[in-house]
Amino acid sequence: MSSSSSFPTSRFPFAAGAGAPGGGGGGSSVRPWGSSGGTSVSSSGKRIQKELMDLNASDCSAGPKGDNLYHWLSTIIGPEGTPYEGGIFFLDIVFPPDYPFKPPMVTFKTRIYHCNIDPAGKVHLDILKDGWSPAFTISKVLLAIKDVISNPDPYTPLVMSISRQYLTDRTKHDEIAAEWTMRFAR
Amino acid sequence: MASSPRSAPSRPGAAAKDGAAGLLSPRFRSAAALAGWDEESLLASLVVEDTPVRESRRKRRPSTTASSSAGGSAGSRSGTRKRRLRRQSPVKIPPVVLALDDDDADKPDTVADGKSEMKDVKEDVKVVDVGEKEASGSGEKAVATGNLPCMDRLREELSCAICLEICFEPSTTPCGHSFCMKCLKIAAAKCGKRCPKCRQLISNSRTCTINTVLWNTIQLLFPAEVEARRNSISSPSSSKEDVNCSPQRSSSFSQGGGGGMRTRSSSSSFITEGRTRSSYRATSSNTNGTTRSSNSRRGFVMASQLVNTRSTVRSDQSEDAVLAYRLQQEEFMNAFEEPEQERQPQNTVSTARDNLRAMASRAIRLRARGWPV
Repeated sequence: MSSSSSFPTSRFPFAAGAGAPGGGGGGSSVRPWGSSGGTSVSSSGKRIQKELMDLNASDCSAGPKGDNLYHWLSTIIGPEGTPYEGGIFFLDIVFPPDYPFKPPMVTFKTRIYHCNIDPAGKVHLDILKDGWSPAFTISKVLLAIKDVISNPDPYTPLVMSISRQYLTDRTKHDEIAAEWTMRFAR
Repeated sequence: MASSPRSAPSRPGAAAKDGAAGLLSPRFRSAAALAGWDEESLLASLVVEDTPVRESRRKRRPSTTASSSAGGSAGSRSGTRKRRLRRQSPVKIPPVVLALDDDDADKPDTVADGKSEMKDVKEDVKVVDVGEKEASGSGEKAVATGNLPCMDRLREELSCAICLEICFEPSTTPCGHSFCMKCLKIAAAKCGKRCPKCRQLISNSRTCTINTVLWNTIQLLFPAEVEARRNSISSPSSSKEDVNCSPQRSSSFSQGGGGGMRTRSSSSSFITEGRTRSSYRATSSNTNGTTRSSNSRRGFVMASQLVNTRSTVRSDQSEDAVLAYRLQQEEFMNAFEEPEQERQPQNTVSTARDNLRAMASRAIRLRARGWPV
């Protein structure tokens, strides 16, 4: 309601002090939980709690960072058969106050050489923007992200140079990607 | 007709035709005027039937009671039972211990849409048959753990994709997906008028109605969840939406245009049901349930008691007419008595209007059937 659907433009707005327990009252943007920390009884809180319980981790996991229900940390294991194999990628998930109706904000905390993921960790994913539907859950979002990792879309790139390389020199691209995975995601 | 004296006697005095205006109480008349109903037609088709000729028949009624109770009641009884079930709050609903094993496979289809009608009826009947000894909470537990292997699947199927809980007052989109009505409305407002599941266009939020079959099914299957949800909605100062905490759940949430529709469908106003049933006998038995449940004071001889004790054969029309008249009087007594204690005047007017409307439609129906007028 209050916030528009656009993505946060600032980079890592929550990088500092997010893990600190009870730090929910902090400064950045709109915080839904107000006074009552993680024990929100609002509908968004209820839904997030439910998602947390229903999460069945296959090769990705997710959960609240501290005791703030609206701020999660997630890990995705690099899909097999891709240059990202063997890497563990951390993602930050921030739920908006009117969560099921607005998409969560997902950013990569681990650097990754990928044409759809910019150096700030921003993911180009339709369902995290206009394509969002309240029927999506975070596990579906993670699944979609995993799919993007294994199948880059060079035609809607966030990083031009990588996409160009992906189209022209695929082997070189994979080499660098594997190298980055080794370097940052282990 | 409009100039009839306000001081006219409230009870039928002389049964002469020209005194017919006196059959309606002044309060009735004013309410009728308020609702915009033609008093003349009401009188003509309803009141006239209560002529002294029928008085003698009415006296004979006790004798017919005994003889006809066996045969004539079967059909209407089941209808009554079902409706009563629906009106009860889920707490009172006997525990659902359905023997669903035979239709496990196709049960989830209930979610889909229309074809579940029959199934719902079946369930209702089963629920009635099942014993009433357990409390609802434990009964639900029993269902969840033991008797219903498909319970988990049912829970999954019947839950709303938006709030991930059991659908509360489900509304079904044109594309066949069901969500809580509240969730769907918020989704339409915030995310555009598209189905959250398949992105098909939801034509208009005005068509957002509760899927009653699905809702009843859910209430039967998950009484505990529904009750919890209802409590959570009504108790903690349900945000900014206007919640006039009436004892019934009638307005647990009234949002935008949905309010009116919601109260009609949920507060079990006999008007709506009376319209759907074609015979007013159903209506009268229904009224019986209403009066009993609302604990209203009894002003005079309750016609509903007559309904209880007697079950007529269909053909005895004049007797029915007498009874119907008395029932209507009772309805009005109830409608006008209640407001003093608990309702707001606004409510009174609307109930009165609804009552009148039901009466009039009934009258028209009777007339159309070619009854003596």
